[in-house]
Amino acid sequence: MMLPALVILTAISILPLFYIIWMSLNNLTLLGGTGISSHWTGLGNWGLMFTDPGVWAGWLAMVIYFIATVGLEIILGLVAALVIHEVVWGKNLALSLILIPMFIAPVIVGLLGRFLVNPTYGLYAWVLRESGIYGGNILGGSVSAFVAVVLMDVWEWTPLVALITLAGLVSIQPQILEAAKVDGASYLERLRHIVLPSIAGIIVALLIRSMDALRYFDIIWQATNGGPANATKIIPLRLYESAFRFFHLGYAATIGLLMLAVSILVANLFTGILRQRGLLR
Amino acid sequence: MSTGARFSPGKIFPYVLLLLLLLWTLVPIVWMLLSSFKSLTDVLSPTPLLTFKPTLANYIGLVSGGNNVLTYFRSSILAAGISTIIATTLGCFAGYGLARSNFRGKRHLAFWIISTRMAPIAAVILPLFIGFTFLHLINTVWGLIVAYLSFNLPFAIWIMNAFFADLPPGIEEAARVDGASNFQTFWRIALPMTAPGIVTTAILCLVFSWNDYAFAVTFAGPGSQTLPVAASQLITQTGVDWGQLTAIGTVVALPMVIVGLAVRRYLVRGLTLGAVTGE
Repeated sequence: MMLPALVILTAISILPLFYIIWMSLNNLTLLGGTGISSHWTGLGNWGLMFTDPGVWAGWLAMVIYFIATVGLEIILGLVAALVIHEVVWGKNLALSLILIPMFIAPVIVGLLGRFLVNPTYGLYAWVLRESGIYGGNILGGSVSAFVAVVLMDVWEWTPLVALITLAGLVSIQPQILEAAKVDGASYLERLRHIVLPSIAGIIVALLIRSMDALRYFDIIWQATNGGPANATKIIPLRLYESAFRFFHLGYAATIGLLMLAVSILVANLFTGILRQRGLLR
Repeated sequence: MSTGARFSPGKIFPYVLLLLLLLWTLVPIVWMLLSSFKSLTDVLSPTPLLTFKPTLANYIGLVSGGNNVLTYFRSSILAAGISTIIATTLGCFAGYGLARSNFRGKRHLAFWIISTRMAPIAAVILPLFIGFTFLHLINTVWGLIVAYLSFNLPFAIWIMNAFFADLPPGIEEAARVDGASNFQTFWRIALPMTAPGIVTTAILCLVFSWNDYAFAVTFAGPGSQTLPVAASQLITQTGVDWGQLTAIGTVVALPMVIVGLAVRRYLVRGLTLGAVTGE
């Protein structure tokens, strides 16, 4: 029963894996049309990559972007889940409304973000200017552009964390919380000692978000395309630029393999935790 | 707990936070919707306009003139739809096989499947691009369908595996005792019982592929461009028509929000790859 799926999966994952390894050991150039020229360079691309300040900057931007987005999403997602859990009136409607952003294509989120912070007719740019918080061109400054793309990502993916965390909250037996309350535990104490430890979902949410943060780069691509002055040029954008703007496919493959290694590491953590919790059979 | 405390600050506080949360979430969406019904001058007003004379001009503009999005719409539906159907069908078979079998190396097989789903898109694009160039799949809908299978198929196998693993084993055993073959047990017993799982899998596959941009912009040409690509092109062509852009944004987002919320109960299961059980 597994055969058809595994055959296709092999064709679109194992073969490309071997191919990308071969690519990284060659100097591959697109010749326009369908022509490709290649000559063997061995580990040349790898040496080049580890001494390329652009690649290092890309990984640094990636790490900062990763910590900022995933960190904020976990915190805000937890707060959102706790709030929705407390609320009685309109709980269902509120949850549905809060989930909307995660179904919107990241490209649209990037474009919409760009519209909202446009210096001449953007709604958020206007609010920030009129309230005296920030009057400049948001996507024109390195720091403000970085903050903006982080917040776009947070806007789209906090709902996912909230949803997963909420599932954990719902599964906590109310009697336990009630008993702790009777014993005089404050809200924060109950949160720390009963609620947080029982949300397995938080770790899963963290891992799912971690993997997706490495996978997708559409939001930044649309909002800033790595600018201004490469301030938001995370590693997948570097890779794409090497491959499809400078046509250094072998070099791009080398960057890709390193990304792949990182994502396999995260996937390992994920399955390890699932197995630990008996969720993987 | 005293009933007199109905309006105590402790009870109001969550609602205040909820209001802030809803504002943060909904303002961009409402603004996109409003802007899509604005005339060009109203969209470009330096002070935001809440009251304006609504017009359908942006939506009409999408389906008329030189940049007709209907062909993009067709590519989007074909690429996302066919890839979803193939992934879900094969995912049901393979997921069932995985859930009901025990063999050496099953762990490694499962890990290979899940790591395929998690591979960074930027890295996957490179070998596929060369392969598609040789196979003449560039600028075809079939190229996109294959590209989308690269993430939808492992996802569908993994999730269906989780849904099948949840079924109580007794029922299937009873069917076998009554003389049902393996395939009959799967087809008549297991499959119907996982109907919500199948629908959730299909919808999530649809959302992932409909929302894709990276594959579409790299592999698609004039004959197979999808809606997200059309949206991004509104920015690079002749300046930016934000009215049309918000209109196409609405067209891309609305169907996915509707189908996504329709399976809200099962979303947690699907989106955590089966690791967390939902409501």
